[in-house]
Amino acid sequence: MSERELSIQDVRHIAKLSRLAPDDATVESMRSALSSILGHIAKLSTIDVAGVEPMAHPLALSNRLAADEPGATLPIELVLLNAPAKVDRYLAVPKVLDEGGA
Amino acid sequence: MSATHATAKILRTELKVGLEIHIELATRSKMFTRAPNPAHPDFYDCAPNSLVDPVVMALPGSLPVMNLIAVEMSMQVGMALGCEIASFSKWDRKNYFYPDLPKAYQISQYDLPLCINGSVEIPVSAGGSRSIGIIRAHLEEDTGKLSHELPGGVAYAGSLVDLNRAGTPLLEVVTAPDFDCADDVVTFGQELRNICRFLGVTGGIMQRGHMRFEPNVNVLLTLEDGSVVKTPIVEIKNLNSFKAVKGAIEFETKRQVEEWRATGRVMGKGMKITRGWDDLKGQTFVQREKEDAHDYRYFPDPDLVPVVVDDAWRARVRATLPELPMARRARYREQFRLSEVDARVLTDDADFCAFYESCVAATTAKGCFKAITDAGYATGKMLLNAGSKRANERNCMVQELGIDANQVADVLALREDGTVGPQAADLLFGFLCDTKDNAATVAEQQGLVQVRDESALEAWCDQAIAANPQPAADVRAGKVAAIGRLVGAVMKLSAGKAEAQSVNDMLRKRLS
Repeated sequence: MSERELSIQDVRHIAKLSRLAPDDATVESMRSALSSILGHIAKLSTIDVAGVEPMAHPLALSNRLAADEPGATLPIELVLLNAPAKVDRYLAVPKVLDEGGA
Repeated sequence: MSATHATAKILRTELKVGLEIHIELATRSKMFTRAPNPAHPDFYDCAPNSLVDPVVMALPGSLPVMNLIAVEMSMQVGMALGCEIASFSKWDRKNYFYPDLPKAYQISQYDLPLCINGSVEIPVSAGGSRSIGIIRAHLEEDTGKLSHELPGGVAYAGSLVDLNRAGTPLLEVVTAPDFDCADDVVTFGQELRNICRFLGVTGGIMQRGHMRFEPNVNVLLTLEDGSVVKTPIVEIKNLNSFKAVKGAIEFETKRQVEEWRATGRVMGKGMKITRGWDDLKGQTFVQREKEDAHDYRYFPDPDLVPVVVDDAWRARVRATLPELPMARRARYREQFRLSEVDARVLTDDADFCAFYESCVAATTAKGCFKAITDAGYATGKMLLNAGSKRANERNCMVQELGIDANQVADVLALREDGTVGPQAADLLFGFLCDTKDNAATVAEQQGLVQVRDESALEAWCDQAIAANPQPAADVRAGKVAAIGRLVGAVMKLSAGKAEAQSVNDMLRKRLS
């Protein structure tokens, strides 16, 4: 996708994955903005990076690890405070079809 | 015209299965935050949404911090599976919307997993053993849980979200497609569960979802013209019992051949299909997928820095590995001369195995056996016979019967020095399941001590001979085998207190 202009369908697909519903004018402006970002990335990918370590993180840090000690939890009132709907101790949402899971 | 999918003769059907296994790690806190982890026994069955903090809820400004122990447990599993532990691994975001995923992404490891390139040797049903390749094992986080029932079992029309499980450390192990039958997949699954339980990295309780299996199944058909047809790969989601794993693979093996017959569809790009498993019907079914499910737009998580593992860390973790089930089985066969079957049962459960080892240590410490071989063998046999029998009756594990290692060793010592006979030893084992009293005292109290009093033995023998004239005559006539009836009769008269060999000797003397 990096070498070409995005199509209207591309933008609509990306918007859908992000649960956005842009109007036609926004789709066109996003198409042009995203295309120019991708154009910039395309330019970057012409640089010879042979022998350069890929950067996984901008900070030169690793292994920020915490001890496995259980800490504080939120009281149920706070957990459910902003929920649009709640039932008993649960957040309630419209039914979804498959079972989810990792 | 050549034969079509509907008419071609199939010469050979070959099953090909690869496996993905999700293992919930039993750390005390979650993968990227310190909210308690419901996969740890201290936090089983907590009230819904009670193990939740701002990171779990993805509240603005909250940031993840890796759990040291989750990383080390994963390294242990990787090492046990013969994997390399990568010097450098990192975290990626797998993006999708779902109500059980508050951040709208799951933190996982995409291209640089922690463990790579391992293999596990398993005994296979065709005989011998086979090496199963481990492609990778990567760390990620579990999602929350959705349910459609209110407490008390009342159905709810929407979905109810419980975030307790959200953020539990999850280790995903991916095997090569090295299986060709369902039974071997189950053997592997059980071995993996066993390894993880010996490592102490998971409760391994299938009903709790501590381990979830996803087989990728397809079938290779060799046709009469010599060509090979491959059916599309089907991934069966979220199986949480070995019965389901076996049933689902066997069902798919048949279904895929039938489907090819009907449609001629073969494996191709983007043809991977997801199916669920209906345990009651014993069938797989088409699962409605999340829309755009495979467009996850992975990218490196900017909130987490990489994991860098050096040799010193590797060595430190390697030093913590216990002796694994496979090595223990080999040792029990070689050192204790136990059969493969006995060795397998003794290593089938980590807690039972630990109990067995402590019994062997206690028995050895008593010094009643000359060699450790005999102590290991006799202890194993006692737990597998007297122990298993009672564990079955009481529907518990041998180590839960109540008898402790020292009492087991005492029973063996009393049997070895002839204080109690074999039958009495079995009874004594039973009594000791319900008391902390000393074995010798209980043997005395219950009248299990062998009678060595010659006159008592003589009286029982004479009584037995008088009551069984035919076997007695047979023995006199040289049919030695008939003596068994008489020995049995004496044992009955003595209520098991006579010692079989002395009885045998005395009967022979009297009937010669």
